Amino acid sequence: MGGYLSSRLFYYIAAFAVALTFNFLLPRLMPGDPFEIMFAASQGKIQPAQLEVLKEQFGFVSGPWHVQFWEYIKGIFSGDLGPSLIYYPTPVTEIIAGSMPWTLLLAGVSSFISITVGLSLGIFAAYHRGGKLDSIASPGLTLLGAFPQMVSAMLILFLFGLHLDWLPISYGYDPDIDAGWTLEFFLSVASHAALPLLTLVISGLGGWLFLMRNSMINTLGEDYITMGKAKGLSGRRVMVQYAARNAILPVVTAVALNIGFLVAGLLIIEMIFNYPGVGNMMLTAVSGRDYPLLQGLLLTIVGCVLVANFLADLAYLWLDPRLRKS
Amino acid sequence: MSEQSVKQSQPLMDIRGLSVEYLVGDRRLRAVDNVSFTINKGETVGLAGESGCGKSTLAFALTKLQKPPALIVEGEVIFDGKDVLAFDEEELRRFRWKETSVVFQSAMNCLNPVISINQQICDVLRVHNPAMNRGELQDRARELLRIVGIHPDRLNQYPHQFSGGMRQRAVLAISLALKPQLIIMDEPTTALDVVVEREIMDQLSELKEQFGFSILLISHDLSLMGEITDRIAVMYAGKLVEIAPTEDVLFRPQHPYTKGLVNSFPDLLGEKKELTGIAGNPMNLFNPPAGCYFEERCPESTEQCKKSDPTLITLNSQHKAKCHLLS
Amino acid sequence: MKSIFAFYRGNTPALMGSIIVFTFILLSALAPWIAPYDAEKRVARGHQPPSAEHILGTTRSGKDVLSQVLYAGRISLTVGFASGLIATVIAVLLGVTSAYVGGRVDAFLMFLTNVFLVLPGLPLIVVLAAFLGEVGPLSIALILGLFGWPGGARVMRAQALSIREKEFVTAAEVIGESKWRIVVVEILPNMVSLIVGTFTGAALGAVMGQAALEFIGLGDPNVISWGTMLFWAQNNSALIVGAWWDAIVPGVAIAVFAMGLALLNMGMDQISNPQLKGSKNLKQWKKLNDELQANRKKKQESRKIAGEVVEG
Repeated sequence: MGGYLSSRLFYYIAAFAVALTFNFLLPRLMPGDPFEIMFAASQGKIQPAQLEVLKEQFGFVSGPWHVQFWEYIKGIFSGDLGPSLIYYPTPVTEIIAGSMPWTLLLAGVSSFISITVGLSLGIFAAYHRGGKLDSIASPGLTLLGAFPQMVSAMLILFLFGLHLDWLPISYGYDPDIDAGWTLEFFLSVASHAALPLLTLVISGLGGWLFLMRNSMINTLGEDYITMGKAKGLSGRRVMVQYAARNAILPVVTAVALNIGFLVAGLLIIEMIFNYPGVGNMMLTAVSGRDYPLLQGLLLTIVGCVLVANFLADLAYLWLDPRLRKS
Repeated sequence: MSEQSVKQSQPLMDIRGLSVEYLVGDRRLRAVDNVSFTINKGETVGLAGESGCGKSTLAFALTKLQKPPALIVEGEVIFDGKDVLAFDEEELRRFRWKETSVVFQSAMNCLNPVISINQQICDVLRVHNPAMNRGELQDRARELLRIVGIHPDRLNQYPHQFSGGMRQRAVLAISLALKPQLIIMDEPTTALDVVVEREIMDQLSELKEQFGFSILLISHDLSLMGEITDRIAVMYAGKLVEIAPTEDVLFRPQHPYTKGLVNSFPDLLGEKKELTGIAGNPMNLFNPPAGCYFEERCPESTEQCKKSDPTLITLNSQHKAKCHLLS
Repeated sequence: MKSIFAFYRGNTPALMGSIIVFTFILLSALAPWIAPYDAEKRVARGHQPPSAEHILGTTRSGKDVLSQVLYAGRISLTVGFASGLIATVIAVLLGVTSAYVGGRVDAFLMFLTNVFLVLPGLPLIVVLAAFLGEVGPLSIALILGLFGWPGGARVMRAQALSIREKEFVTAAEVIGESKWRIVVVEILPNMVSLIVGTFTGAALGAVMGQAALEFIGLGDPNVISWGTMLFWAQNNSALIVGAWWDAIVPGVAIAVFAMGLALLNMGMDQISNPQLKGSKNLKQWKKLNDELQANRKKKQESRKIAGEVVEG
């Protein structure tokens, strides 16, 4: 058990190191001085003296690269990611803390729905293979998953938001309502999240269904399934405890790919629905050439993705006794 | 041993004219063709033949475990006066394991890898005895492991923590869980080394002595069968070609195929003889000949064998064989 | 010819996918001849709805949408296929090398693959593109190709490992064939369906990735591709002002092409994993099995009645 988790942890640390290095190298390898660009982009909000502080914080000190890298790492792990340029002098960490809950809301709820519904449909489709649901929903939802998220987001926005005018199409809640633990605010948040969630679920559902169905079909050929049937267990028990319980393992290992897909979807969908999450903030940072904010967001996103992967590893460990040492 | 046990016995499972076909594209391939025989109470019957002769297909069909593309097209399997093949899902569920349990070919793959042995014993106990409480289930599970020679402390372990031999014992323990009247064993020791095979077969004999169940032992290994069975049925290309008490099959085989099969194994009693085997390959079931299916490989074939397929001829009350030479 | 027929027989997804993909290739290749207008010139008033003159309407700046979508296909398809090719070549090289050389090389390459597999691609690419400024189609193809290989490499390695265990490879090794020859002659030909599947998967990812980057505004807005068409449509609030064709047409083009690739990918999956094939046979089996069961049941019922009569 320790071996498995520590080797996985090692990957994540390495992956985070790659992201850090990427962040460190980019401004140094790109043509032009990034601080000149930032200075220009800030439109006078930053004074030259403050720019010098920023430079130091990002490791732009005189000296060889490894010294710079060390300064950079120290800067990052001090927990201070510097001020944003667009929202100067608000600290980057504060901006991230403000937008993170929105993204987690979308990611969490949509994943919960797509995973539970997708896996159940996958199990059902494999069990009734060649049946009505399997012949229509399996290829249909899988193809829907290949539907570009920006297109489905625009169509959904157009249909439900503009044409039918059922639900709000922009922002995370009605700004006229005071934020707080009130039912009114909660309903406003829910109605604003509805269309982005619908888009995310539509694009995510098919992937889970497809993975689970194919894994189930491979598992159903195993001897222990036949033995389960021979034991006179109910069809339901064989399906869940014998087939699905085994078929889910390869699905859990494929989580990494699905998380990448989800992050890409969040970025685009938050932009289209002008949702106040991390993805939308990232695009704001890109267009404002706000490098401190951009790098803070990137490291946060990478960190969250790695944590999600680690949670999937824990789930795998819990599901597969073969990995636990006796 | 065989003579007296057969005489006293009454039928437990009566297989009548069972045929199983495989659906391959638009064609049908007959894997089991009109097979009939009876398994008596307390009796051990061997079912022998080359791989691909339909013996495993037959075994699966007996409890309706056939998987696509296999279809049971004809026949009845009478157990306690009822046709098992006509059972619906619910009747089948109640019949399975309670009356007839199955020990599968590979213990490696027939245990569920992600749930403990305990759960795999208890789930079958619980589903057939809903009244049993937790403590009773545990006691019974421990007892079952003890019966097959596994220390009960290993109850909560998972299949991957067991050696090959132990897994096969665990499967045996599960098969005994409901004290079935018949255990179908499909090549139960093929994957094991000879020493472990020996131990398990000895154990099986003891258990049979103790509980008095019947066994249908499917194997390609006649010498293994010779030790434990009362009667042996021999299949070739989906058809039953000979059935007789074990001694008759081993020492007085009548069908040329059985003779070849007997000759391809070393003698049990250690007497030296030349192992001949059977020339040629198993026939192509897609293209069955008009005559005897074994004709092409048969060393004693005649003109008549090419023309018509022989029927199963009764040689004496216990011995039947399917060959023109015997009529 | 015969083998092509055999390939598509019973593999509806592959057939439909191929038809869609080839139609798109053909339309893009023929764009200069079939496009009714110059895609880059203003040919009418802005945001004209579809009419006989402009079958798919015009953009805000008065360009013909049909001509644009045809020309855009050339860029989008080229970027998709090029970066799909880059990703596939890297995946095959790394995967097969890893499996065949083994040892430390394998450990290192798999480490690299697993690290890149867990890194979220799009945010990295967005940051990269942000530093590069506006990126043209060539840079997009390169970037997407260089980020698109890890999933494929892992599958390639697994497949190559299992083929390596097969008898014919062992035989070739015993004969003393060179490693290169074994890889090229014995292993790669057995991975064709997987390689094609990886390629279609990577190309699908690249088409979507390019569209996403351009839509976000990181691409070169002067290039005509499906992504930039969507970018302009979004920028000009086409949907909100009611000019739905401006956004829907490039959107549908990406969606249909993406589905063609996804279908092709599904078809390849069926070949690599034959268990997934043939639900048609299964249906026939179910029907026959149910019929036989009904007959047995009927027979038993009638016997029961007969038995009761005799007893009575």
